[in-house]
Amino acid sequence: METYYYSQFNHAVVHVALFDDVTNSAAIRSRIIQAARIIGVDGDTEREAINFAFIDARLISSLLHLQTAIYQALLSEAQGQLRTKTIHSEILWALNPTNNITEAIRRYGVSDASTTLIVIRVDVSNIPDVQRRMCDIVQGSMVTFEALKQMTDWSTIKKHYKLDAEPALKEVQGEQDREHAIVNNIIVSSVAMKNVMA
Amino acid sequence: MSPTQQLLQSADLISQGAEAAIYKAYLRQLPTSGQAKNVGSDSPCHEVLEPVLLKYRFHKRYRHPSLDTSLTRQRIAGESRALMRCMKSGVNVPGIRMVDVNEGVLGIEWIEGKSVRQLLPGGAELEDIDELEEMDEVEDTDATDALVEYGVSRDALMDMIGVEIAKMHSSDVIHGDLTTSNMMLKEKTRDLILIDFGLAYYSTLVEDKAVDLYVLERAFASTHPDSEPLFSGVLAAYEKRMGKNWVPIKRRLDDVRLRGRKRSMVG
Repeated sequence: METYYYSQFNHAVVHVALFDDVTNSAAIRSRIIQAARIIGVDGDTEREAINFAFIDARLISSLLHLQTAIYQALLSEAQGQLRTKTIHSEILWALNPTNNITEAIRRYGVSDASTTLIVIRVDVSNIPDVQRRMCDIVQGSMVTFEALKQMTDWSTIKKHYKLDAEPALKEVQGEQDREHAIVNNIIVSSVAMKNVMA
Repeated sequence: MSPTQQLLQSADLISQGAEAAIYKAYLRQLPTSGQAKNVGSDSPCHEVLEPVLLKYRFHKRYRHPSLDTSLTRQRIAGESRALMRCMKSGVNVPGIRMVDVNEGVLGIEWIEGKSVRQLLPGGAELEDIDELEEMDEVEDTDATDALVEYGVSRDALMDMIGVEIAKMHSSDVIHGDLTTSNMMLKEKTRDLILIDFGLAYYSTLVEDKAVDLYVLERAFASTHPDSEPLFSGVLAAYEKRMGKNWVPIKRRLDDVRLRGRKRSMVG
């Protein structure tokens, strides 16, 4: 699990974990949907239990990609300019090239078919048992981010960002490593500059 | 204090221009020993924190405040879009890492290396705040040694410059401030990187591309001794890369050269 510290955002602590061989994606997803409906104290408890960002790892090209989305989300929150309800949903919004929140959650969030998940928790201080809480929700094996390389679905990423015809990629066609580095650079930069893209 | 202001406070000031101040910063911090207590054993501190370059377009008091905000916003957007255009076209430029339009800060990928100005003779001058503090004797041989150290010949360097500018112009991006200070040789990969797209814009006009090249020609001449062979090396590589589009640009460049200051148009 990775942990990031940001003193400039009121000493926020961000925990990021990667899960492989996830078997209960459908259950997690319905849990999230249900939690929004339960009213009262029980609802609050359930909502807090799953208060994480669940991201399908297939669409993440690198840790930098994730870090950039997290930073932009933290920035929006600090400036009172969240586009979605929570910091966790904001990270999902930041990852998507368009402004459509539903699309962002549908594309980048946990789907019934997800077998690899990234779980993120943003907090104001170091929570002692984040790892346990994550493992309680996700049925799968927590792995290091070295494994992310094998999980990335580059063709879907290129499709979402409409990069199939770009000159930069035509130049390095055939050299997979270089092509992935270029795509990674483009989408990291896109996430960072989303607010000024239009 | 806003988060970005806090970030700037902890950053190292590298240089200050009329429009912006440049800093080296880290977007996040390593845990202090107090925080590390709760970190699990499988959380390695292996990751070296990557620095970023912060371009801070500070508030200009001589401008009307709403104009200032609007202009700064436009400039950041313009610079980001030019960089993105270049990235998609295969031009070597730094990536974008963070954008805060409200505070006027653009975070760019940190490029470790030297500028082409520093690598060529005549260019190793006292231009940075760091260098001003050193006040050592600077000789031309220092510059040549740096290039040798990088293992790149002067001809190869000019070739790379020509190719990158050609790629950029082919995607109709005009740099607007082409000088040897705005080109860097990346230490790790020996790639030539074009930087500082603050004055960049989109244009299909041959005139704009010719002027872009002319600005570089003048920059070469005014900064580096015996620059003519250097610049013709750049143009040769540019021509080769541009193909048939070179002809109209060359013609325009000749016209532009004839304009300029102290050039008599009297036949």
